[in-house]
Order: sequence, then C-alpha cells, then structure tokens
Amino acid sequence: MSHAVELRGIVKRFGTFVANDCVDLVVKAGEIHAIVGENGAGKTTLMNVLFGLLQPDGGEILIDGKPIVVANPRAAIAAGLGMVHQHFKLVPSLTVAENVFLGMERGRAGFVDHKAQIAETERLSRDFGLKVDPTEQVGLLSVGIEQRIEILKVLARGARIIILDEPTAVLTPQESRELFQTLRGFVAQGMTVIFITHHLEEVMAVSDTVTVLRLGRKVDTRPTADVTKNDLVQMMVGRSVSFDRRQREPSTGGTVLSVKDLWCRDDRGLPAVRGVSFDVRAGEVVGIAGVAGNGQTELAEVLSGLRPASHGTFRIHGEDLTAASPRRIRDTGVAHVPGDRVVRGVDRQSSIAANILMGRQDTPPWARGSLIDWAVVRERSSEMMERFDVRASGPDALVKSLSGGNMQKVVLAREFSHDADFLLVDQPTRGVDIGATESIHNEIMRQRADGRAILLISVQLDELIALADRILVMFNGLIMGELPGDSVSEEALGLLMAGVQTGPDRAAVA
Amino acid sequence: MSETLRPVIGQAIAIFIALALGTVVIMVVGESPILVFATLLEGAFGSTERIAGTLLQTTPILVCGIAACISFRGGLFNIGVEGQLFMGGFAAVIVGIYLPLPAGLHMLVGILVAMLAGMAWIAIPAFFRARYNANEVVSTILSNYVAVLLTSYFTIFLFKRPGGWSETAPILPSAYLPELFSFSRLNWGLIIGLALAVAVQLYFRHTSRGYSVSIMGQNLKFAEYGGVDIKRHIFLVLLASGAVGGLAGGIEALGVHHRFMEGFAPGFGFDGVIAALLANGNPIGTIGAALFFGALRSGSLLLEVDTNASREIITVIQALIILSVSAQILMRRRGDSTAAERRWKF
Repeated sequence: MSHAVELRGIVKRFGTFVANDCVDLVVKAGEIHAIVGENGAGKTTLMNVLFGLLQPDGGEILIDGKPIVVANPRAAIAAGLGMVHQHFKLVPSLTVAENVFLGMERGRAGFVDHKAQIAETERLSRDFGLKVDPTEQVGLLSVGIEQRIEILKVLARGARIIILDEPTAVLTPQESRELFQTLRGFVAQGMTVIFITHHLEEVMAVSDTVTVLRLGRKVDTRPTADVTKNDLVQMMVGRSVSFDRRQREPSTGGTVLSVKDLWCRDDRGLPAVRGVSFDVRAGEVVGIAGVAGNGQTELAEVLSGLRPASHGTFRIHGEDLTAASPRRIRDTGVAHVPGDRVVRGVDRQSSIAANILMGRQDTPPWARGSLIDWAVVRERSSEMMERFDVRASGPDALVKSLSGGNMQKVVLAREFSHDADFLLVDQPTRGVDIGATESIHNEIMRQRADGRAILLISVQLDELIALADRILVMFNGLIMGELPGDSVSEEALGLLMAGVQTGPDRAAVA
Repeated sequence: MSETLRPVIGQAIAIFIALALGTVVIMVVGESPILVFATLLEGAFGSTERIAGTLLQTTPILVCGIAACISFRGGLFNIGVEGQLFMGGFAAVIVGIYLPLPAGLHMLVGILVAMLAGMAWIAIPAFFRARYNANEVVSTILSNYVAVLLTSYFTIFLFKRPGGWSETAPILPSAYLPELFSFSRLNWGLIIGLALAVAVQLYFRHTSRGYSVSIMGQNLKFAEYGGVDIKRHIFLVLLASGAVGGLAGGIEALGVHHRFMEGFAPGFGFDGVIAALLANGNPIGTIGAALFFGALRSGSLLLEVDTNASREIITVIQALIILSVSAQILMRRRGDSTAAERRWKF
C-alpha cells in the first residue's frame, strides 16, 4: 500500500518548549489512522504543521510520496488535504450551502449561483451519507450537523486526506457512531482519514492504525488489531513506572474532606465529573489517577470553588462548602496547588514576594490594618524561599524569570505555609526536573506526617505509587475503582484508566 | 534592559516616530517643521503666563488620566472618562448655582457631588461588566455620547442663562476652586491632580485592596484562585475610576469655567485615556504624559496666530501618537506569552 502522508523528523518549538520533537508519521492510503496522546502531547500541533497552519522548525512532509512544502492551508488543500478543526468555523447567519462554498462561491458573472451550490451540496451529502438540508440556516442547527457541514466543506474542496481534530469531543454517543460510519464510508471510497482523540474506545472502534504521542515524541505506530486499550494507556502515560514507595506510618486521623455524589460540567457545558464520592482523612494522601482529561482538573476546580458543582456536595470538617467562594474555602482551611501553574498558580509579571502574599494580603502580620507591610512580606518570603529551596536572586525577583521547577516551588511555598488542613495538589511535578521533583515529594510527605489531608491528582503513575495511601482511578468523569497504594499493580491501574472495570468493587456506571 | 525602563523607552520611541511622521505631514501642507515646532514650544513654555496656560490644560488631562489608570490597573478599560467628566462638571455647576453654602464648604460639596455624578455615570457599565461580563469598552464609549448630549440638552432647554450663549448661569463665588496665581485661571485643581497621582500610586503599592486589584489586572485567574472577589473588585474599580472622571469635571467647572456650557471640555477625557496608556497605567508617569498633551494643546493656540498651519495639525500629531503607542503596546504584548491572559482590549 502506498503512503498518503509521510512526516519525517518534524520538529516544532514554541520558544523553549518543544511541542513536536522529531516526530515521524506514516499514514497509508485508504486507512483510518488514529493519533492518541494526553493533552499537551503534541497531537494538534503536528496536524497543524501538516495542514500548513504552523511552519515546522525541522523535518519533511511527503504527500502521496512526493515531498512538498506546506506554506499555508491553501497549499495543503491543493495537495488534497482537508482539516476539520475542533472548534467549528461556520457563519451562523448563512445557509448550509453558502457555508460549504464560503470563499469559493460557485457563480456566474460575479453573482453567486445559489442553485448550483445547493445542487452540489446535495450531491456531496448523498454521495458521502452526510444528511443535511442545504437551504437551512446554520445558526439553527445542532452541533452534530454543524460538524457534517464542516466535513462537507472539506469534501467540496476536493480533499482526499481528511484530518479531524477531536471530532467526537462535542458529539453525543449516537452522533459519534454516525460519524464513525461516515469515516468508514470515506475509506471505502479510497480516501484516507487521520483523527485525533484521547478516547481509547474510539481508537479501538474505528481505526486501522494507531500512533501514540507522548510529551511531543512519537511512542509507536501499531495496527489497532494488535494492541489493547491497556497497551495504549501504558504508551500514553509512559512505561517506566517505578515502584519506589515512600516509607510511612499508617494514618489514623479523622475525615477532613468528604465528597458525596459530586457532578460538574466542563467549559463546553458537558458533564465532566459524573457523580464521584470519596473521603480524605487527616494524615492521608489519596491519589487520583487517570489519563488527563477525564475530569480530574474539573474536580479540583470544584473543590477549590473555581467551578460550580451541578449536583452533590463536598464538606470539609463537616462544613458544606459546595457553593462557597474560593475565599471562604481557603479560610476554612484549604490550600490548592493548581494543575496549570502558569495560568492560575502565579502571576508571572510580579515578584516572588508579591506571589507569596496572595491569599494573605488581609492577614497580620503580612498586612497591618489595610496596609501591606512589604518588609515583613519580603522577610517571610526569603525564609520560605530558603525552606522550599526556591533558587532565585531574592524575593524581588520576577516570577517569569524562574524555571518551571522553581516557579512550582513558589506555589508550594505559598500554599503549604497556609496551615491548611486539606491540601489539594494537582500535578505538582508536571514539567519539573528530577531534583525539584524529589524535594516536592519530600515536602508532600512532610505535610502528611504533620497530619494534613492530601488529595494528590497526578497523571504520573510512579508519583502516585510513591506517595499515595490509596489511589482512586478516574475515567470519563467517574471513579472506576480504588486501589491500595502498597499493593497496586500496573495492570490493574492501566485497566481502570482505560475504563475497564474489574473486581467486586465495580462502581455503578451512569 | 531593566524591567521598568523598557516600557519608558518604548514609549519614547513611539512619540519620536509620531513626531517624525508629523514632520512629514507639516511639510506636505507646506509649512516649515522647524517653525511649527518652535512655535509650539514658544506657545507652551515661552513665558510664565504661557507655562500657566499649559498647566491649566494639563490639569483636566492629568485627572482624567488618573481615572483611566485606576481602571487599567484592574485590567479594565474605562474609555468613558469624557462622559464622566461632563456629568461631574454639570453636577458641580448645579450645586454651585442652587445650593448656597458657606465658602469652602460649598466648593467641597460641589467636588464631592461631581465625583458622585461620575460614579453614577459608570455604575451601569460597571454593573453589567461585573455581573454579566459585558464588555466595558463598548458600554463606556457609548455612555460618552449620552453624557455629552444629555448635559447639552439640560443646558440649552432647562438651565440656559437668558442671553445668547448656550450656557448656564454662573456659579456662586463661594463654590469657586481658588486660583493659584493672579495672572492665570490655573487653580488648585493642578495640586489636587498631582496629589491624587501620588496617592493612587501609593494605594496600589501599599494597601491590601490595591494589591488585590493590581494582581487582578495582571492575571485574573490567579487573583480568583487566590480568593479575590473578582466581581466585587471589578465593580469597585470601575466606580472609583468613574468618580475620578467626575472629579475632573468638577475641577473644570468650579476652577476654570464657573459655569456649564456646550462643548464644556472638548476631548480632555480622551486625551487623559491616551496619556494613561502612554504611561502604561502608571499615575506618576501620567503626570508627564498629561503635561506633554497639555503643552501640545496650549502651544497650538499660538500656532494659529503666528503661522499658517492650522491647529488641526496638533490633532493629526496626536492621532499619530495614539497609532504608534498602540502599535508599540501590541508588539510588546505579542512578545509576552501570557499576554493572552490579559484582558486589555484595543
């Protein structure tokens, strides 16, 4: 079989961040090729490079065996590529046919030939089994139909190789099944489909071949029939799981956090957390494992008051905080190390001292009355920088001048010094070097020994195995099961993370 | 390059480019750029009286600039300072005419009412911004037109002084903001403006709330996460900004015109917003920027007398400055990866 697309050694950097690190990809003509990986693995970047939306810093692109330079999307379209983006780009006030032909209107003598456009849209719709009414106004249609229109747009431009970026993210299960049928139809007509996803069941359901990306690199490309979901999980999160567990005393404290049947929606309004219940006791580290994007971040946001719960409750020391503000939750004794430190965890433009001040700007001795005592802030910040090993010129250094690891230590210094009973720790060592990871892990265990209740959310299994007393596995917004930290097996974790339930503690699926 | 110096140098380059382009425009209309700039300088700083005249023009621009600075610091964009100035000025005049009080107290009440009027005028945009995230740029711009036309209507149809001009009766002398010198209308407004600039700067640096607002302006999500009540602070910041806009109107009314009329304070609000932009939201820097715009305005008066160049040349130069400053700010934003997190919209 010939190669529809071949990428050789694609490198794409954003500043110092390497989004694609020498990625090779071969897509055979007439196959459905799934690209999987966690959020931030570089899937979308790679496809944007292929489609000419981004220019690679290195590497080659071959279409149908011929090397080409994809300078812009127009060049990509000319080469027979088409891309359906995650976020649709339709004009709601125009009709289906007008949207399909937007920018390449069929016309005569400067006038748009609506009849021809409608007829051609109907033909495409019939040939490819994408049912639409060409005369309907797009603004009135559902998301699933909007996606069909996006696909029709691509087909109308003569695409033979179709790229879909997380096409099912916005679809209902029925719509997803219909989409898969359509994709099958495409390859039956000799076309090639590349689709990005992080849902493994979709990979298994529809793809012929699967490529796994991890941290900007290709892990492997395999025929889908030869891999299991569990294999894919291992590839996505990394195989080298170490089982170096930290020594600990058993925990004996009372319940600090109690979550009951908690639900919430994500930014698109779709259910992200779907009825989770668990407790965290004092002096205990409860880990939450899962492939990124299965509701962990949203759960953390609800527990810190940054996202409203749609159902259920959570209590800290028995106090119901489900609808409380971030301020009140903090005052009750919650510290939060957020998953995305650059967005939420720090203000990069401010000094270390100003970052450490956040959350205590009204509290003595940091402030006297309504005046901030900057001398105290600096002094305390210096002490914390020493204790948490933040390497910088001093408390007045701007946070944006720090490395990722030192930035994270500033966040930990601030949050762990709040004397909170409950620590919500989300991805504490993401993007942090090994030395800093070690000291961050030590600090978490010290907090545990001091009797804090700790919820540790991480996509790194070795981190959870090293630190957690119990591990809850989240999949698709549900807790699939609980594993004891001291006798967890990689297989059991992997199966639960892939959404396969085992054993007697099988939770009810909504 | 030091972090504090970089924006200053950027701004200086922006002004330089604008003046260079202005030179081209002046040559195109057939004037000598050297003569025009020399006349501008002469008109702005040529004598004690002219310096006082420049400071008189600087005062409202400065106070309006501080109003804009306050909103910028919170990551908000109050572009309705002009409208708040008109409402404040009008309210102060009404107090000045109809509420006889002892001298001094009368003036203070007038100033206070002017601030309340400015605050009231921004209250609706502020509420919708805080509660429903309605873009304050649009709503405050629109509120400008309403304010200018509404006060004009009141002046002409309800409070017009008998006689030719579209203006109200003069206010009582007890409400006058005292003048600083006998030879100029320059008044205590300048001192108020300077003191306010220092006070606002200190407030943002040294108070808890000032800190919360500054952080909110730089990284909203971080402030929210840290427990700052975002909605409340957005509302309060805009109210404070509106109050200072109203204050600018009160100063103009009680210190300079002693009455309200159509075209009461043309463009001071907008100049103030630009001055604040030029100063990157720093109140102290706004003093310098306001002086620059004040000098352009007062220098342009002599320009019409002594040369064939029209005063509109100054408007052109100002527009060029706005253009190059915005371009410069946008380029700086692009260089900073977290710029997308900031909510300043241009």
